Parts: sequence; structure tokens; C-alpha cells
Amino acid sequence: MDRLRDLNSLKIIGTISTFFVLICVLLSISSYARAADEDNCLMCHKYRFLGRIDENGNRINYNVDPRIFNDTVHRTIACRECHNYIKKIPHDPVTEQVNCGTQCHVITPFSKERFSHQHIIEIYNSSVHAPKPDDSPEQKEAKPGCKFCHLNPIYSLPKHDIPYDVSLRRCLNCHQQKGVTQAYKHITHRIRRKTSRSSQEIVALCAKCHADKELMERFKVSQEALTAVETYKRSIHGESVTLGSQETADCISCHASNKLHDIYKKDDRRATIFSKNINKTCQQCHEQTNRWFVEIAVHPRSEGAGNPIVYFISISLRFALYGTVFGLVGLMLLETYGRKRKGIKFLLRHGNSWRGKATPEKSKQKIQKNNN
Amino acid sequence: MVAPPDAATAAVEEAAAREDYFTYIEGVGHIPRDIYKHVKSDPAGDLPRYSTHIVIQHILVSTTFLVLAATGLSLFFADVFWAPYVIKLFGGADTARYVHRVAAAIMIFAAVYHILTLVAGTTKKVMNNEFDYRRTQIPRLKDLHDLIHDIKYFLGLEPFRPKMEKFCYKQKLHYLAIIWGTTVLVSAGLALLYPDVVSKTIPEAIFKISPGAATGGAFPTFFQDLARLMHADEAVMALIVIALWHLANVHIVPGRFPFQWTFLTGRITREHQIEEHFLEYIRNLEEIPEEKEYMRNLLREKGFEVSEPMDTTLSRQTPEPGSAEESTPEKEEN
Repeated sequence: MDRLRDLNSLKIIGTISTFFVLICVLLSISSYARAADEDNCLMCHKYRFLGRIDENGNRINYNVDPRIFNDTVHRTIACRECHNYIKKIPHDPVTEQVNCGTQCHVITPFSKERFSHQHIIEIYNSSVHAPKPDDSPEQKEAKPGCKFCHLNPIYSLPKHDIPYDVSLRRCLNCHQQKGVTQAYKHITHRIRRKTSRSSQEIVALCAKCHADKELMERFKVSQEALTAVETYKRSIHGESVTLGSQETADCISCHASNKLHDIYKKDDRRATIFSKNINKTCQQCHEQTNRWFVEIAVHPRSEGAGNPIVYFISISLRFALYGTVFGLVGLMLLETYGRKRKGIKFLLRHGNSWRGKATPEKSKQKIQKNNN
Repeated sequence: MVAPPDAATAAVEEAAAREDYFTYIEGVGHIPRDIYKHVKSDPAGDLPRYSTHIVIQHILVSTTFLVLAATGLSLFFADVFWAPYVIKLFGGADTARYVHRVAAAIMIFAAVYHILTLVAGTTKKVMNNEFDYRRTQIPRLKDLHDLIHDIKYFLGLEPFRPKMEKFCYKQKLHYLAIIWGTTVLVSAGLALLYPDVVSKTIPEAIFKISPGAATGGAFPTFFQDLARLMHADEAVMALIVIALWHLANVHIVPGRFPFQWTFLTGRITREHQIEEHFLEYIRNLEEIPEEKEYMRNLLREKGFEVSEPMDTTLSRQTPEPGSAEESTPEKEEN
């Protein structure tokens, strides 16, 4: 009986595992690359040394590695949906840039509209980073466009699952809050992959320009903005982020809302760091803020710069430190010298560490001699 | 055998020096100041110094201090090359910050425990009429006197170290430093942990006292900057003093090397007690009959004057070990 039952269960397990293997195989053979490369662009672009040297001597590589591309966020988008200026193959030299606001053929499931980054681009265009009509050509050149930050990033697995309300926050960058249904929540709950940068990477990205003092000076930014990276790194936030903290505030935690691209100057009413909004911004982490709290310098200047009292205390503490250390260690060394001279040895051996010089007889004799 | 006072002033001086050199204890004899060169000490300690409560408190404080220093310094010096490795040991920056707070809480607990021990112990002593402020950490003018004479001894200007109490100038200095350091570190640390509360209460208190003084927005930043400065500087100072002075003083200097067990056993070696805490040793003699017996035998063995026959009869009343040991030096003399 037992053997029969075993046989039956074996059969069931066998059937299930066969189906499982079949499903796995079916899942794995469906290739994104085939969908993305419907114009067979890879026929040429698969070659690793496909490239040229332009008039300025820059070497440009046009190779697309499908193995890398198939891991990126744009893996399901066909080449010509972004590179839509290509009308024939083989194509002419490319003069145009990709426009991220282009609508592609991906239909979003709820709005049933063709997908586009237009919404984010509108936010970006109003932000401080977008080129403005009255900017100098140099300024326009220096301002970061989409591709300065977004490098069609390779998917990376986060260390732990992201809770759905966190990943939902990312969804709200593009989608309207009212459109969020239970179904969306269900989808976001299952998002296990993260494309965004870590806090350290965000600081490094912003520092690319903001730590470049020459560049910043040319655009005549304020003194605070000029030293912003330096002062941030001195703050508790900056120090924790340097060491890999994921809970601490990085640049965009305070300087942008969930929309991430809405970075404005401090005197702009829309800015998260505008005096009326700053309380709310701090409350993202510090639950109990008040009108005094928001005045704490998030970008602290060096010790006592502009504050003579803190500077004075800092100097006197320094003196106290050196005085204490040299005084105490000096006393200890003097003590060791004096005791060594009187015949103490380092090790306590046979119950005593005093050896050599003095004996009771000697000291007794000495005293008796003096008495006589 | 008292020195016959000759007319010469030198002899008077010698008599004074002799009195300083020998300490007469009823039932023991004349104890020379440098007897510590001849006593036998158990490295684990012979005489009581710390109660079990103090030993527990020291263990709590020293372990949490190491944890606090490791996490705190690597968070503060985040850009130094070793910081990420230390932080990784504690499970990353976010975990390290919690570890720091938990360790701080344990240290504060130890501090409260210490205060309770002090209050309870002192009350008990006062009730029994045993309290003696000279045996406590309370600073006295004598400590300054001891320091000066100790330095003279180290320089070779004086033959013997001053006779010091249970806590000598070094220990009192360190104790005061710990009180100051703990107060600063705990208050500044709380200001860093609860910036919202501190930034509100202090300026508001100032505002109540004088409304004109707190109009500017400088106060919250000032107190936060100050807290940060004090917390870090005080911690660095504490660490340097502990690493360079305290550890060297208790484990490295001659006689204590390679390890002094007092902080675990609560007992101090006889040699150390007589050398650095002579007056406390005299009290030990009065309190511990075995120690009295030991010292009496040692004095006899080394050929020093032992106390009068009356005391000998007293000590003979104590059974075997005394009489057995007493016989040996006599043999040697014969």
C-alpha cells in the first residue's frame, strides 16, 4: 500500500515538475530583443568596433550590446521609436538628438494612451535646471538635460524588497494620484527591481557640477550654493550618506518633491526649501518639527565660521585637549622614570616587582648610622 | 628604640625623617615606608578596593565606551579611509547609529546605577558612623600637596612618595574628568538625537527671560553647532585620555604590566596599595586581622622592630597559622 501511495505521489510530483520546467523554458525563450529590434538594427550595430572618428578627433562608438540593452528599462522599446528621425535603412549620418518627450508605441494599460515622458519634461522645464530663454549659450550648454542623469540604466537588484507605497511614490511621478487603483497597488507591490540611484550616487551625481567651483562661480551662484556640497558632507546627513546610509536625506530628499525634477531656487514659492514649505519638507523624516527646528543649518558652515562664540569654544577645547593629553601622559612618563630609577621592574615576579637597589638592611643601616 | 635627641639640629631632622619613615601600628610594629619592596603580592589582588557594584559598572562603561567610540568616531570622520570598514562591522551606517544609541543608553544606565550605589553606600556608612570623607573621591588640598611631593620624588628630590589615601590625585582628577565628560557627552548627545526638542526649548526659554535676545534665527543653529562640537571634541579627548593615559597607567607602567586584575577582581595588590595608597593600607591593617598578622611576620622576618610583648601575647591568642609562621624567622635568626 505504502509503495503504491509512493508511486502515485511520485507521478503527481513528476507531472507538476514537468509542467514547471515547461513553463520555465517557455518563459525564458521569449526574448525582448526580438521585439525591440524589429528593423534589424543589430545587423550592423552588433559589431563591437562600429564607430568613427569625427572632425574634432573624438572617437564615437555606435555598438549596441543586446545583452546589456536587454537588461535596461527601454528593452521593450524598438530603436526607431526614440530614434524616429531614421526613415530608411541604411540611414544617413545622424544630426538630431533623441527627444525623450516623444510618444512611443507602448500603450499604458489604464489611460490607454501612448507612453511619453512629456509630463516629467514639463516639470523639468519649469525647474532651475532647464535652459531658460535669457540664459547665456554657455549656461545653456552647462545645464543638465535628461541624458545627463538618465543613462538608460542597467537594472540592479535592491538589497531588500521595496514596500509598495515607496514604489508607488515613484509611479506618481508620472501618473495622477486619482488614477491609482487597487490594481496599481497590486502591481507596485510586486515591483522588486529598482532603477533609481542610491543616496551616495545621487550626491555624486549632483556634485559633478555643484562641487565644480569654477563652473559655479561663472554662473554667479550665491555663497551658500558655492559651498553646498562641502557643507552638506560636513552635516550629519552627509556623513551618514558617505558611509552608505539609506535612511538619511540626500540632495533630492530635501530639494525636490516626489516628482524629483521640480528643483527650484530657494526664493521660488514652489521650492521645497522655500521658507513656507521647509517645515513640510523636514517632516518627511523629522516628525516633530517647529519654527525653531527648521532654522538649524542643514548645510553647516565650518566650525564657528561667522559664529565667534562657537569658534572660541572650539579653540579653547583644542587647548584643553592638548593640555590634558600632554600633561597627563607627561606625568605618567615622569612617574615611570622616577619609579624605574628606584628599582621597580615591569613584571610582577615571585610576588614583587621591586628588585635590586634598596634592601631593608641598607635603609636600616643608613638610619642607624645617622642616629649614631 | 627612640632616637636619642642630640643637641645637633641634624639629629632632630633625622628623628623627624625617621618618624616619617616608620609608621608605628599597635599590634604590628614600625612599618617602614618602603616595605612594599619586600611584600609578597598576588597578581589577582590581596586587599579590597572596589565593591562588586563598581566592578559591574566598570565593565558596563568600558564595553559601551569602546562601542560608542568605534561607531561615533567613524560616523564623525566619515571621509577617513578606515571609517567604512568599522561601520561595516556594525552592520552599515543606519544600524551603527542605532547601536550607538543603545550603547549610550546602557552607559547612562551604568551612570545612574553608580550614583545610586554612591548614595546608598554613603547613607549606610553615615548611619553606621563609618563615613570618612578622606577615603572618598572628594578632592582635598592634600591632593595638590601629594602631587607636588610625588613629582619631587619622581625627580629624585625626595626619598619617598607621599602617603596617599584610597584615591590619590590621579584618580580624583580622572573621576572629575569623567563626571564632566559624561555630563557634556550625554547632554550634547541628547541635543543631537532630539534636535527638534532642543532647538525649541532652549530658544523659547531664552525668549521668556529676555524677548529681545532671541529674535534672530541664530539660536537653533548655534545650539546645534555647539552640541556637535562639544560631543565630538569631548569624545576625542576622552578616547585619547583613555587610550594613552588610563590604559597605560593601569596596565603598562612598571609593576602593573602586563595586566592589572583590579577592575575584574575588585582587589588591589599589596605592593600597589602600600606604595600608592599607604594611608588606606594602614586602615586595611586595622580592619583585616590577617593582614596585620602578615605584616607583623614580614617585619620580624626582615629584621625590623616588631611591636611590644603585650601585642605579641595578643597575637598569640590567634591560633596555629600565626604561631607556625612566627617560628620560622626565629629559626633563621638562630
